Amino acid sequence: MHDRILIKSPNPELPTPDSQKGHRVVITGLGVVSSIGVGQEAFWENCLRGIPGIKPVQRFDVSSYRSRRGAELPEIDFKAFVKPANLRRMDRIGKIVVSAVRLAVDDSGLNLKEEDSSRIGISIGTGLGSSDTVDQFFRSLLKEGPTGAAPLLFQTAVPNAITSHCAIEYGIKGVNITFSHKESSTEMAMAFAYHLLREGKGDIILAGGGDELSEPLYHVYSMLGALSPGRGKGEEGMRPFSRDRNGIVLGEGSGILVLERLEHAKERGAKIYAEMAGVGLSGSTDGLLRYDLKGDSIARAMTLAAKELDTVDHISAAANSTPDLDRAEALAIQKVFRERTKEISISSLKSMLGEFDGSGGIRACGTALSLYCGMVPPTVGTSHLAPECDLNVVLVQARKKEIRSALLNSCSNGGSNISLWFKQYDS
Amino acid sequence: MRKRVVITGLGVVSAVGNSLPEVWDSLVRGREGTKEITVFDPAAYRTKIAAEVSHLDPEAYFSKKEVRRLSRCDRFGLIAFREAWKSAHLDQDSCDKERAGVILGAGSGGILSVEKYFRDFYQGRKKSSPSLLISYSLATTTDHIAIESGLKGPRSTTATVCSSSSASMGVAYEMIQMDLADVMVTGGSDSLCEVSYSGFSSLKLVDPESCKPFDRRRQGLVIGEGAGILILEELEHALRREAPIHAEFLGYGICADAYHLTAPEPNGEGVERVIRIALAHAGIRPEDVDTINAHGTATPFNDIAETRGIKRVFGERAKEIPISGIKSMIGHCLGSAGGIEAVATVMTLETGIIPPTIHYEVPDPLCDLNYTPNQSVQRDVRIALSNSFAFGGNNACLVFKKFSSE
Repeated sequence: MHDRILIKSPNPELPTPDSQKGHRVVITGLGVVSSIGVGQEAFWENCLRGIPGIKPVQRFDVSSYRSRRGAELPEIDFKAFVKPANLRRMDRIGKIVVSAVRLAVDDSGLNLKEEDSSRIGISIGTGLGSSDTVDQFFRSLLKEGPTGAAPLLFQTAVPNAITSHCAIEYGIKGVNITFSHKESSTEMAMAFAYHLLREGKGDIILAGGGDELSEPLYHVYSMLGALSPGRGKGEEGMRPFSRDRNGIVLGEGSGILVLERLEHAKERGAKIYAEMAGVGLSGSTDGLLRYDLKGDSIARAMTLAAKELDTVDHISAAANSTPDLDRAEALAIQKVFRERTKEISISSLKSMLGEFDGSGGIRACGTALSLYCGMVPPTVGTSHLAPECDLNVVLVQARKKEIRSALLNSCSNGGSNISLWFKQYDS
Repeated sequence: MRKRVVITGLGVVSAVGNSLPEVWDSLVRGREGTKEITVFDPAAYRTKIAAEVSHLDPEAYFSKKEVRRLSRCDRFGLIAFREAWKSAHLDQDSCDKERAGVILGAGSGGILSVEKYFRDFYQGRKKSSPSLLISYSLATTTDHIAIESGLKGPRSTTATVCSSSSASMGVAYEMIQMDLADVMVTGGSDSLCEVSYSGFSSLKLVDPESCKPFDRRRQGLVIGEGAGILILEELEHALRREAPIHAEFLGYGICADAYHLTAPEPNGEGVERVIRIALAHAGIRPEDVDTINAHGTATPFNDIAETRGIKRVFGERAKEIPISGIKSMIGHCLGSAGGIEAVATVMTLETGIIPPTIHYEVPDPLCDLNYTPNQSVQRDVRIALSNSFAFGGNNACLVFKKFSSE
């Protein structure tokens, strides 16, 4: 009787892949809650106009820090996006991510109630999720002792609470997972979702993530010397690949993609923004707070992701205005693309959105829109490229460009480098 | 064609021992690790116990400088990792480091260090060291392990807390299926801290005396800490280097209740679904399952929902399957619970010994299965499951099989 267990037959309930390579995965919905626009239309318009979301921080007092700026979200009426009964159980980051999910689902034209809920999943990445709630909870504990600790705060303080909020809001009963690995958190969430859909483990996965700009987070980044102008000199600002870059400006927001099996998307006649066609993951080991200094690991991630390297026309860069990462990423791009390097347009949306661990979802939405519209957004703030970042960085103005395929890069300090590869959808 | 994935290394730190032989011996003998908390002052709490790791001298493992730099969570993770890596002979055999990665699960991570910083900061005391803030990210322990051993394969951290390190095994498994790695370090590490202790305490989920899974007197969990690390390896790769093979990792399931932020779906539907997903993925039938490592937190609701879920899958046979609730001994280790329990499940397959659920005295009519009360039993086991459930109805189930090369 036990012999039967050795048979590795695929689950008969699952549809058979159209080839040995597995199911094709497409992007059919985009949800963006960003400092430069709520909803993908507003976000994309400002992205192409090169309007940065970076301003003096308003939500908390930054007068004790050397840095003053952040890319904060505008005031949002969350009632427009979240069911009222659920709203009161959510903290701010929960509302932000659930709103992005709502926007993505609406954009996709899906009626989730008509779908098999066990074949819909959610995969979310967040660097620090509910950092503000954790901080409030901790302060209540310090002030009033254990009896004063508020249970309602604790249940939203866990990092996966944001994912649970989304699952409860929409009754999503399939795969449910949360990743937290610094700047590559959301890219991991998308990479995992992509693989599961490819294997037919579900029809739809809402993938992406987000983070919020909170006071404790600002404090931590400041104390660790990561913020522009940091310990260095110069003006505060986000200037990826620039000669005078000197650290990051923190941002916040959430971006969610509706990833869907192609057959499922076709059956319902969905609008397809782009195809997700590959992922590459690689680690570097230069130190706990260090990026991949030589760029070899970033190069490897890109090579693993882009199965057809010679079709890559655009890269949405991880470059975050730190001296190390921007140099390393430029080096990696040169190593991979050699004489083609200058043919590839490069943008860092972080120049507008600021840097935050969960930025990958929004940047992936941007990449999908670049493929769909044939437009490349600018890297703003940067006027003079550093000599070690000798790339075709699109500066100041958006550029019209037909893109066959594009890479989205993410690199975490500590060394998780993930590249996602997107193709123009070709039926 | 799906690749076969086996477990070639195991490492563990918990309240009942600092290494696999110690921990396994304790589990088999039904020895518990619950004691009065020393990591922080529990005086103001209603409950004062935890399954704390004691008798572990960090300087036996790390230099003084490292001890200063590493959070409690990092230390547990690194100690368990080194044991696992060595037991897999990967300290001696060469392996392509670009195809060896780390995916761990995290709970509160190094928050204990961050708490120390912010306690001083908010109370306006002496300036605390910003280096404590390095532990702010849940990725820290994962990165430490990869950096120490130069592993350049895929790297990430799952953050579903109580099911994190079971979910991380599923993700690590997929890294091998995606042909991004031959070897993956997985499992998880977590340490006690006040935020999580007071959090569970505020939800009235902590038992003041002991952890009594499935017993009618149960009042909740005892929080534990430690690390459980497993080395997953693609079968051909393991055979080629003649690695020790402890068991095969057949498959897993991850899904959600989509029911409530903290409470499980009461009828066990989520539990049933995740077990069915895992069995389907592993390509086996319910009647093939010989033993189950339960999530068994000893909270009133979890144990009922889990029992109901198991009955929904296994029907009449549910009562025959020996179930272990080892949280009765090691506590609920949150981010490392799934990792440590996966190590125990693999040991069960290797030795045929099913560890007991201790403190089991008064049966609960709503929990009427065979929980292996108080004494471990010897059985011929070929297939074992390990369950992990988390807040928000995040469910995970792992399927392991005694290894045979056929």
